[in-house]
Amino acid sequence: MPSASELAWLIPVLPLLGACLTGLGLITFNRTVNRLRKPVALLLITSVGMAAVLSFAILAEQLAGAGGTEVLFDWAGAGTFHLQMGFRVDALGAVMLSLVTTIALLVMVYSDGYMAHDKGYVRFFTYLALFSSSMLGLVISPNLLEIYVFWELVGMCSYLLVGFWYDRDAAANAAQKAFVVNRVGDFGLLLGILGLFWATGSFGFEEIGERLSAAVAGGGLPTGVAVLLCLLVFMGPMAKSAQFPLHVWLPDAMEGPTPISALIHAATMVAAGVFLVARLQPVYAPFPQVQVVIAVIGTITLFLGATIALTQMDLKKGLAYSTVSQLGYMMLAMGCGAPVAGMFHLVTHAFFKAMLFLGSGSVIHAMEEVVGHEPVLAQDMRLMGGLRKHMPITSATFLAGCIAISGIPPLAGFWSKDEILGQAFNSFPLLWAMGFLTAGMTAFYMFRLYFLTFEGPFRGLDTGIRAQLLSAAGQPPEVTPESTGDGHHGHASHPHESGWQMAAPLVVLAVPSVLIGLLGTPWNSRFGQLVDPIEAAEVAEHFSWGEFLPLAGASVAISSLGIGLAVLAYALHRIDLGTAVAGRFPAINRFLANKWYLDAINEKLFVQGSRRLARQVLDVDSKVVDGVVNLTGLLTLGSGEGLKYFETGRVQFYALIVFGGVIGLVLLFSAFG
Amino acid sequence: MPFPWLSTAILFPIGAALLIPFVPDKGDGKQVRWYALGVALTTFLVTVAAYLRGYDPADPGLQLVERVQWLPDLGLAWSVGADGISMPLILLTSFITSLACLAAWPVTFKPKLFYFLLLAMDGGQIAVFAVQDMLLFFLAWELELLPVYLLLAIWGGKKRQYAATKFILYTAGSSLFILLAGLAMAFYGGGAPSFEYTVLAAKDFGTGFQVLCYAALLIAFGVKLPVVPLHTWLPDAHGEATAPVHMLLAGILLKMGGYALLRFNVQLLPEAHAQFAPLLVILGVVNIIYAALTSFAQRNLKRKIAYSSISHMGFVLIGIGSFSALGTSGAMLQMISHGLIGASLFFLVGATYDRTHTLQLDEMGGVGQKMRKMFALWTVCSLASLALPGMSGFVSELMVFVGFATSEAYSLSFRIVIAVLAAIGVILTPIYLLSMLREIFFGKENPELASHTHLVDAEPREIYVISCLLVPIIGIGLYPRLVTDSYRAAIEALVDRESVALVKVGRAPVPAVMAAGAFGNLPPALLHAPALG
Repeated sequence: MPSASELAWLIPVLPLLGACLTGLGLITFNRTVNRLRKPVALLLITSVGMAAVLSFAILAEQLAGAGGTEVLFDWAGAGTFHLQMGFRVDALGAVMLSLVTTIALLVMVYSDGYMAHDKGYVRFFTYLALFSSSMLGLVISPNLLEIYVFWELVGMCSYLLVGFWYDRDAAANAAQKAFVVNRVGDFGLLLGILGLFWATGSFGFEEIGERLSAAVAGGGLPTGVAVLLCLLVFMGPMAKSAQFPLHVWLPDAMEGPTPISALIHAATMVAAGVFLVARLQPVYAPFPQVQVVIAVIGTITLFLGATIALTQMDLKKGLAYSTVSQLGYMMLAMGCGAPVAGMFHLVTHAFFKAMLFLGSGSVIHAMEEVVGHEPVLAQDMRLMGGLRKHMPITSATFLAGCIAISGIPPLAGFWSKDEILGQAFNSFPLLWAMGFLTAGMTAFYMFRLYFLTFEGPFRGLDTGIRAQLLSAAGQPPEVTPESTGDGHHGHASHPHESGWQMAAPLVVLAVPSVLIGLLGTPWNSRFGQLVDPIEAAEVAEHFSWGEFLPLAGASVAISSLGIGLAVLAYALHRIDLGTAVAGRFPAINRFLANKWYLDAINEKLFVQGSRRLARQVLDVDSKVVDGVVNLTGLLTLGSGEGLKYFETGRVQFYALIVFGGVIGLVLLFSAFG
Repeated sequence: MPFPWLSTAILFPIGAALLIPFVPDKGDGKQVRWYALGVALTTFLVTVAAYLRGYDPADPGLQLVERVQWLPDLGLAWSVGADGISMPLILLTSFITSLACLAAWPVTFKPKLFYFLLLAMDGGQIAVFAVQDMLLFFLAWELELLPVYLLLAIWGGKKRQYAATKFILYTAGSSLFILLAGLAMAFYGGGAPSFEYTVLAAKDFGTGFQVLCYAALLIAFGVKLPVVPLHTWLPDAHGEATAPVHMLLAGILLKMGGYALLRFNVQLLPEAHAQFAPLLVILGVVNIIYAALTSFAQRNLKRKIAYSSISHMGFVLIGIGSFSALGTSGAMLQMISHGLIGASLFFLVGATYDRTHTLQLDEMGGVGQKMRKMFALWTVCSLASLALPGMSGFVSELMVFVGFATSEAYSLSFRIVIAVLAAIGVILTPIYLLSMLREIFFGKENPELASHTHLVDAEPREIYVISCLLVPIIGIGLYPRLVTDSYRAAIEALVDRESVALVKVGRAPVPAVMAAGAFGNLPPALLHAPALG
């Protein structure tokens, strides 16, 4: 009987088989398979469920102290080169496997409710299974090459899922943007992998780490080159984990269905970058310069995400920028040389952010009943408000998520974020200050979201705001249902709580969001003991209440300040931030509302620049390069004979020239040769 | 005497094509197409049998050899054979031609002539890869031009005369160089002339002579591959060809250029190759970036894909110039992979054109609403083309990248520049392919298009053709050794020959690094890398 770890290859293969089966069904017997909604969903949920069972078995083995397992085979090669593939299971992988399968499973159950009325239901589930498979493959990859393979595959799934509603222009653009921006990161990743392979002759994490530092220490490789290679590889995680300046694709990716935003763009795929950096710790650790860059980029990202989130009016976009910000925290942890803290935040964040996104999906689903299937209306918080009365489960879980992400003990976010801030305080005090400030902003914008959505009066029926929003988005004004009488529009006067398929995952996710932080208390971190026992022991040993309490107290204090401000502004309406801040500093407000103008710069510089360049090259091609050819053709035609070579006696002439040339050549070289 | 597999594979389709006038057919092609498909499939089976029965992948040498004296005084002989460089391409040819017959199903205009040309091309192209005699090679190379010319000129689009003329002038003009170089090499050194590859390979040409021949052959094969700036016939020819012809052009014809470069320039003229290889690599990078940009700016679907072919062939050039077994192997795989992917994309272009009656991207849009299966097929093939892992294009490009980056024949700075520039292609390819998908399928349905055309979804025949191409594409992507093992030995022998020539020419930085010493404690890979700086 093989151990669960030896069967780990089944984890990505099971969902893949399911996806292939339904995918083939869709292409061959489209109508029939599209009608088999529940059986298909059941099949795919089962396949992911089996993967989940296996993952937890592996986690149990790891908890029981089993070592890592690695299996490799020759995949491609020539000469002395062998490119190997295979799988590898260790504590870090086991944690990620369990996390990904759990959330994927819950999101699939949720999607059954969320996508119930969508005509692409079966296709959606197929993509979900395909994504799960790729993501799980990434987690068990034993080397950089295989990581790159799955890295691209999750990117492809993200492309397919963001563009799921392909008739929407915004979704189509977002999908393309996501893929291309990620390819920019992959450009660096690929070159970095190649460079590391050149320098070390290996794709394995530990091997690269050892040999790279040995090469630098031995003087064979300048430190600058090693750092450059490390940073090139880091470009991959920058794009995937939405780090400044490659974060621009993530907020746009919210055009995809909300379950996708929860699974891919909050909990799993965007965390892949952080995961890769954790895997690469043996490579990065010897180079403090690399660590500093990672920490600084993480800090810029966490600050940028939080500031932009302050002004967002779209519920999902607000959460998306919050994700960007939290990913920045994780990167900061990696840069501080604390991968365990970063990974722990990844895990806690995955749970509560998935819950928050699923909650927002529940809200949007409910809002669509009132305002119709128009994302401009259904996702805008100016039309929400007072939903707590109608959606008790959603609002309660959303509130729990807000408290968790704000860092209020004893919920999950407090422990993980505080650990990162503690590490940053010791390594880079300046970056700690930024992270500390951002923690306050996080609490503020999250509670702003909560109050605008769930408290106060319901504004969904205000046709004035609706018309304003539509015209701002450049959409035609809505046709009132009374005048047309079609069933396209919402008819409900107020939203309803979602069905059990959607509510149950929220409740399930609320449990870890509240409790899982307790596994990572600094004095006795079970998480740390599993992933990195040596570091955990060290942390526990150095732990002192005298150091912990002031820092933790300060974090809690600034979070409370943020929450308090949000309460005053959005619950009690004591202060009007619109006039008090936005009115007084219009430049800042505009800067934030325009997302630091990064999208505009991208559009001007890269999108239009590349288009212009391409057009110019094509001009050169058709006018200059082809022009020369046509000119030659024209000249020969002009002499009146050009095309007749093949028909007239000139063939002999042609042969004569050839023969003469050959004889000349041979004579020439026989003489010199 | 063993069964003459290769001669059969060459002569059977040509002989069967000659019988086409006697096939009973009402003139709408409904009978003759079955006949043609049968012949093409039989040819495919013959080549598969040749591979299974007479070919040993582990043997680097020439196999399945058949030799019949023809004109002994002139050194002419019917000489065919296959080694690792030609066998996979022979299989590819007969495979793609069978699918092209299936793709040609709707052809109703002069079907007999059409299928005749298609089958004649099949035999001719197999001959190009299988013959072992340079004069025969020249004949096969020229013979294959004629069917393409007619297929373009009779069944092409609006500008077909222009495109066909351009094609024939370009390729016929450039093939003059093949004849020149072939004759020169055969007569070199006096004695009885021989065009046999093995005899030519054994000759010791002076370096100067090699360089001249190499340059001549590079022009000839560079037109075919094509190499920028000799590429302008391709967008025109591809832009006017019908889908089945298109599949053959992209799937096989371009590979003749790559094959010939390996066969003649690398194998027969290794010392000149050692001199010219950096140029090949630079041209490869130019191909990748230049053609990717022109493809991005193209508004015509067929021409867009045509330019993307040029871009992909750049990796073949880099691989051939890499002086590493991995890189050369990658070039070989890229040819096979592009043969499959290019054929699938061009087939889809044809299928889409049958429905939309336009190739202008501006006139499409939102087509995915009605043609969902077509959308899915397009998406998969485009992803394959942009080198998504799990498909063949990724493996071949990766092998070229790794092979080149670790090649010992180039200075580090050169490798860095080339790798960075080639990797820019990794960014550009998805830009043009995904924007193409975006413009055809995504968004709201174009009302004008929808009112004029009848957008029916993909039919089973079309799905079948694409599936046949996707199976090997994905198969290679998952486990590349399925294919690479079939030519590995031959490529390794070829690269050994290259390395010997490299040392002879004196462009070998490896010993210099080794001699530099002080690398005792370094891992082996670093030892092989030249000094930095």
